[in-house]
Amino acid sequence: MEKLLKENDEKYIKDLFEKRLTDPVELVLFLESENGEKVNKFSAQYLPYTEEILKELVALSDKVKLTVYKDNPEKEKEYGVTHISALFVEGKNTDKNVIYYGIPSGHEFSSLLEDIIDVSNGKTELSTQTKLELQKITSPTEILVFVTPTCPYCPRAVRTAHQMAMENHNIKGIMIEANEFPEWSKKYNVYAVPKVVINDKEQFEGALPEDEYLKHVIKGAVNIILE
Amino acid sequence: MDDFFVGGLSSQETESKAIKSEYDIIIIGAGPGGLTAAIYAGRSRLDTAVIEKLAPGGQIAVSDRVDNYPGFPDGISGEELTKRMEKQAKKFGAEFISDEVRSVSESKTENYFFVETASHGTIKAKSVIIATGADPVKLPVPEEEKFRGRGISYCATCDAAFFKNKVVAVVGGGDTAIADAIYLTKFAKEVIVVHRRDQLRAVKALQEEAFSNPKIKFQWDSVSVHVLGDNKVEGLEVENVKTKERTVLKVDGIFVAIGTVPNSGFVRGLVETTDRGFVVTDKNRQTSKPGIFAVGDVRDTPLRQVVTAAGDGAIAEFSAEQYIKSKERGV
Ligand SMILES: Cc1cc2nc3c(=O)[nH]c(=O)nc-3n(C[C@H](O)[C@H](O)[C@H](O)COP(=O)(O)OP(=O)(O)OC[C@H]3O[C@@H](n4cnc5c(N)ncnc54)[C@H](O)[C@@H]3O)c2cc1C
Repeated sequence: MEKLLKENDEKYIKDLFEKRLTDPVELVLFLESENGEKVNKFSAQYLPYTEEILKELVALSDKVKLTVYKDNPEKEKEYGVTHISALFVEGKNTDKNVIYYGIPSGHEFSSLLEDIIDVSNGKTELSTQTKLELQKITSPTEILVFVTPTCPYCPRAVRTAHQMAMENHNIKGIMIEANEFPEWSKKYNVYAVPKVVINDKEQFEGALPEDEYLKHVIKGAVNIILE
Repeated sequence: MDDFFVGGLSSQETESKAIKSEYDIIIIGAGPGGLTAAIYAGRSRLDTAVIEKLAPGGQIAVSDRVDNYPGFPDGISGEELTKRMEKQAKKFGAEFISDEVRSVSESKTENYFFVETASHGTIKAKSVIIATGADPVKLPVPEEEKFRGRGISYCATCDAAFFKNKVVAVVGGGDTAIADAIYLTKFAKEVIVVHRRDQLRAVKALQEEAFSNPKIKFQWDSVSVHVLGDNKVEGLEVENVKTKERTVLKVDGIFVAIGTVPNSGFVRGLVETTDRGFVVTDKNRQTSKPGIFAVGDVRDTPLRQVVTAAGDGAIAEFSAEQYIKSKERGV
């Protein structure tokens, strides 16, 4: 396959990683063969590209490594993988809860870079207020963020979900590339992105500032500690 | 499989710096106007912060091709163009804060403005540049809220992919509407442009492109009255403004581009605005409140484009610098 990252971008990312990464980060990628049970014909065509871009990315820093599990139901179960491809960003402030379903390309490639930086440093840019509020969530909470790679407002929605997951491991922050998972998108009536669904019961469309986003997450979380 | 990386980090700074409690200039909004002001302010070595509630880039970030910004004879995507502006602003030292500004007020005792944010408290600035641009006008039908995100969309590049081989309507007749219609033909099997007049307002170059595209049809002299459907859009009922005759267009999606409303609510009462909310400025881009400037689409101006927003940004920064200097001399 031809290289996907341009030379300029490689230089930029290499430099960025050099300056900003402290601790190691592991990217865990799940793939299946074409007849695998968790792939569909739409996502299947992206798999080689997803693997390639991640390989090129990890080559740019010693601190980031890639683990690929292909057709590995045991590992899929351990990570709670439901669709393929699935990508987990693992490090000191995550626990199998910062997730990308489908290729992180276009605008979402920046989300991945920023996630890697946050996970390496073990901290997020969420406000103190948000961090405090998030600690009230004490039961499993899933934030699904449906995106398309051509949506400039989407990375913000993805990053907020991922940063919330980094702050509280009861939260799973999940990006879903809508083009690759039409059935999944249909299930939630996704016709505009970003669309955010929390625990299947609370949802909103469009990009919201952090404090309003948080209100929806708190509302969608099942068990919160009441003041 | 092009554009894996659209060049630059979206919301976070490339260098993590603690947010200060005080800046020389605070620029509110990181569209082309705000970003240009930030480039100039950085080069003037002013301590500069840009506060952006969504992602740097502004409205033009959703445009797949900008053909009228000088220096790009082959066109450039709005995303790429504003990423470059953002890089340039960061290179010269502007700090980016990801937050929404809720209000601006003036110190009664000192030469300072207080910029109140949603998540980072109140930040002080010697001068403020309002570059908050505008948002799309909502489709004026009773069902707008019900179907927003369920077939009504305000961002063609974001949502076009959900309408592969479907029929969609584009409401509007200006540059944005026609550019959207052309973009949508890459996905939809048919695009119906619904316009309230019998001719387009869009520039001739775009009109020619649209008229020669076999996938684009026109519903002239028509306004939207209802959106039909159960859970999602199934049709758009339009009324002919001349005959009053109503027609139902069977469409799966409706892309709306019928103008913009300025994002000036947070400074209402502080600076003078027009009836429609556009901020009034003098030739230095200074508002009715000395020390506060306004640029780009939020401003009362005859032309709202990237190049004019950028031009405003340069003038406003220059004026803001003069303002700060004069105050420092005065103190
Ligand atoms: C689809 C489309 C196509 C277009 N095509 C062209 C074209 O080809 N050529 C051309 O010249 N122009 C084009 N335009 C117009 C152009 O996009 C605008 O004129 C230009 O973006 C205005 O820039 P601005 O900096 O004034 O504001 P905006 O681009 O509107 O940016 C304002 C920024 O402020 C932020 N903001 C708003 N309120 C707050 C707040 N309270 N706190 C913090 N941040 C806030 C917003 O999130 C936004 O990022 C197009 C517009 C659209 C929608």
